[in-house]
Amino acid sequence: MDKRMNRRECLRALGLSGLAGGLGLSLTETAAAQQRVGESSGFQSSIIAEHKVLDTSTAAKLVDGKVIQPRRELSVLHETDVLVVGGGPAGVTAAIAAKRAGASVTLVERYGHFGGLWTGGLVLLVLGHIVTGKKQVCQGIGEEIMRRLDKIDGAIVDRRPGVNPTADAEAVKYVMLEMIEEAGVDVFLHCWGVDAIVEGNTIRGAVFESKSGRQAILAQAVVDASGDGDVFAAAGADFEHRSHNIGLVSRVGNLDRVDKSKVPEGSKPRRLGSHSPVAGVNWVNLTGPELDGLDVKTLTRMEMNHRKFIWRNMQKTKGTPGYEKVYLMETAPQLGVRITRVLNGLNRVRLSDLRAGKQFSDVVGVGGSTNGQHGPWQIPYGALVPTNVDGVLAAGRCISMDIGMADLVRLIPNCFVTGHAAGVAAAVAIQDRCAPRDVEIAKVQTILKQQEAYLG
Amino acid sequence: MSEQDTKAPGKDRRRIRRTVRSICMFAALAILWFGRDSHAPSLIPGLSPFVAVASLLVTRTLHVTACIGLVIGIVVLLRPRWFCRWVCPMGHCADGVSRAGRRLGRHPVKFFPLGQWILWLTLGGAVLLPWPFLLWLDPLAIFSNALTLLAAPSTPATGLALLPALAVLLLSLVWPYIWCSKLCPLGAFQDVLSHLVKCVRSHMHRDKQKHPVPDDASRVTRRAVLGTVVGAQCALGLWLNHVSGGKPARPLRPPGAVDEAAFLGLCVRCGNCIRACPTGIIKPDLGGHGWTSLMSPVLDFSEGYCREDCVACTGVCPSDALRPLPIQEKPDIHLGLPQVDMNICLLGADRECAECRRWCPYGAIRYVFSESEYCLVPQIDAAKCNGCGACENACPTKPKKAIVVAALARE
Repeated sequence: MDKRMNRRECLRALGLSGLAGGLGLSLTETAAAQQRVGESSGFQSSIIAEHKVLDTSTAAKLVDGKVIQPRRELSVLHETDVLVVGGGPAGVTAAIAAKRAGASVTLVERYGHFGGLWTGGLVLLVLGHIVTGKKQVCQGIGEEIMRRLDKIDGAIVDRRPGVNPTADAEAVKYVMLEMIEEAGVDVFLHCWGVDAIVEGNTIRGAVFESKSGRQAILAQAVVDASGDGDVFAAAGADFEHRSHNIGLVSRVGNLDRVDKSKVPEGSKPRRLGSHSPVAGVNWVNLTGPELDGLDVKTLTRMEMNHRKFIWRNMQKTKGTPGYEKVYLMETAPQLGVRITRVLNGLNRVRLSDLRAGKQFSDVVGVGGSTNGQHGPWQIPYGALVPTNVDGVLAAGRCISMDIGMADLVRLIPNCFVTGHAAGVAAAVAIQDRCAPRDVEIAKVQTILKQQEAYLG
Repeated sequence: MSEQDTKAPGKDRRRIRRTVRSICMFAALAILWFGRDSHAPSLIPGLSPFVAVASLLVTRTLHVTACIGLVIGIVVLLRPRWFCRWVCPMGHCADGVSRAGRRLGRHPVKFFPLGQWILWLTLGGAVLLPWPFLLWLDPLAIFSNALTLLAAPSTPATGLALLPALAVLLLSLVWPYIWCSKLCPLGAFQDVLSHLVKCVRSHMHRDKQKHPVPDDASRVTRRAVLGTVVGAQCALGLWLNHVSGGKPARPLRPPGAVDEAAFLGLCVRCGNCIRACPTGIIKPDLGGHGWTSLMSPVLDFSEGYCREDCVACTGVCPSDALRPLPIQEKPDIHLGLPQVDMNICLLGADRECAECRRWCPYGAIRYVFSESEYCLVPQIDAAKCNGCGACENACPTKPKKAIVVAALARE
């Protein structure tokens, strides 16, 4: 018996040895007790470090009633050419695009999977890839993801011209993972980007909080695909703080077991969402009130209110004759935050330009409509570039745009498009050793076209 | 053809007259069709003193188009049936068909002067209510309306728009010259005016040989009094029918429309506004709002909305049923107010939709979260909204739109 064993361990060991002894298995007991650090114990848990005491000199201190975080040096977890913060549709496309354009790329994601609100938010309907005349404007890597889903049985439905498809979240998570691995992107999951690393007014990387503690990743260029503009905001870039509807998606099952003959006239529940690739399962959107998605109290309240509503609404649905077997499968792990921080960039995407069909010489992508009800809108490169900070590009829902464009910019295919553009531009900036704002647009456009992006 | 005309002017004179009327007809067609983006089409029915007088009685304001009609009125006061003989394009067409009818062996019939009754009934309605309910029988309006054929060749409205003109031509074929001499209210109006002149002349001159009192003076006067009174009664009846409940919903009228009851009468159904509309949202009413509204212009937002930069229709109305509207006043008008049916609205089913809010040119739509329904509900700011229908046009629900502009309740 090791003399440093504490009381509980001692008792457990004694109990075990008594039990084992009784069963005539004293050998096992001895092996467990004598296990050394780094060795397998033969049990499901092993000791990584014994009696570890962290250095508390850097812990936050309560000084005169104020909480003070002392200065400290952060360990550098990794160094890379392009750092992509956020693994949603924009981040994944940006990472793959930058890697294919020749840069070394690191992708950091707050949750344990890729796809962002598409998968973690369970927003399964892919709106925004078509314009008038059923033309599909979202091409490139976004379309590649969709084509991979096509090949998997039950991964995506409604893949017809002029129709908005619906994907399966698990299939999307898998396909994105596969593509990220194939591209050779370095990945850190469960990492929450909390700060920017700046040198003058240039971003040189980002700080992450994870179970490993606060660590830094150094980079030549950063693509902020966090959705909330966490990195560019931390670096001091000019942005607009907006409110938008905060909802929570859920999935309901057994809809194929609804007994339609029992449903009374006119009492068919309306809020059962839309079909998904899984038979009998619908994904149910929830719009929610318009609030500040950066306020943790708001997020907490929304999460709780929405869960209550979804549960109670489901009980009401189950009370409708014929709907008894319908059940709530799951609520989305991620709250449906739509718009929070929006970059004030060198240029912006405007509703008036959409209406006028404006063309930009620095076009890096073309956005679509929700239902093909209007024409394409060009995305100028300037909408991704902050005015006052270098080394960072915005991608996804936080790019520079006017208020009328929010509900188009945040759509999945449009996030693919801006992510693709930001990834390629970041890689070009590194290759040409210039700030992202100074990249040669023609070169970015050429590479985007080589990667099959549609630029109008 | 009045008695004056049957005095048979020389063959040359007739030929000249026909040529002038042909020129007038083609000029009218050209103005109506090629000038449909300008104010010019209002000139065609606007030339009619009948329309001008009715418009004056109803709106009680004197507009430019009415002035033109009144000038023509003064001319015909001095030269009886001058307008019929030298200008009227509808009369020209009817004459041509009448001649064909004669050649086919048809003969003019004796018929009582229905035109004068139409005239008095209409003016009676205009004075009392004001509802000049037969104003649409003006020949210039009939002529103008027939052109709707060109504007929308494939719609069922085309047939209806053509119907009055076809009826005039058919009647002329069967009973030659019946339209101009007995039915046309504008012709009757000119007859009445010349009759008036004759009476005044005979009153002023002692020489009864030279200026006799017209022998049918008492009959014309009786007709006028009786017609006006009956017209007023009819208009009253129509109005009562119009204001009583249980009727089809009040239609949406183009911008600048006068009060609905006045509009129903004042609108001559010329189709000018329908043809002037660049987005094609003004459609002739095919009976969806009761027979009193038949063929009058109604708004239909299925193909477009009433653009914020356009007042084209208000400039082409000959009878001021649509008052001229300066473009600056466009945001302040109220065509109607959108109503949302949350049983259809996608927001009520938790779908992502922001179409009506996005396309509202006046920023009048907000989505407000309802705690009780636990969903967003579109809210319309009635002060900002002018009822242009951009929301209805943009609404993606099918077949019924969740947001529909409804006419405002009567003030």
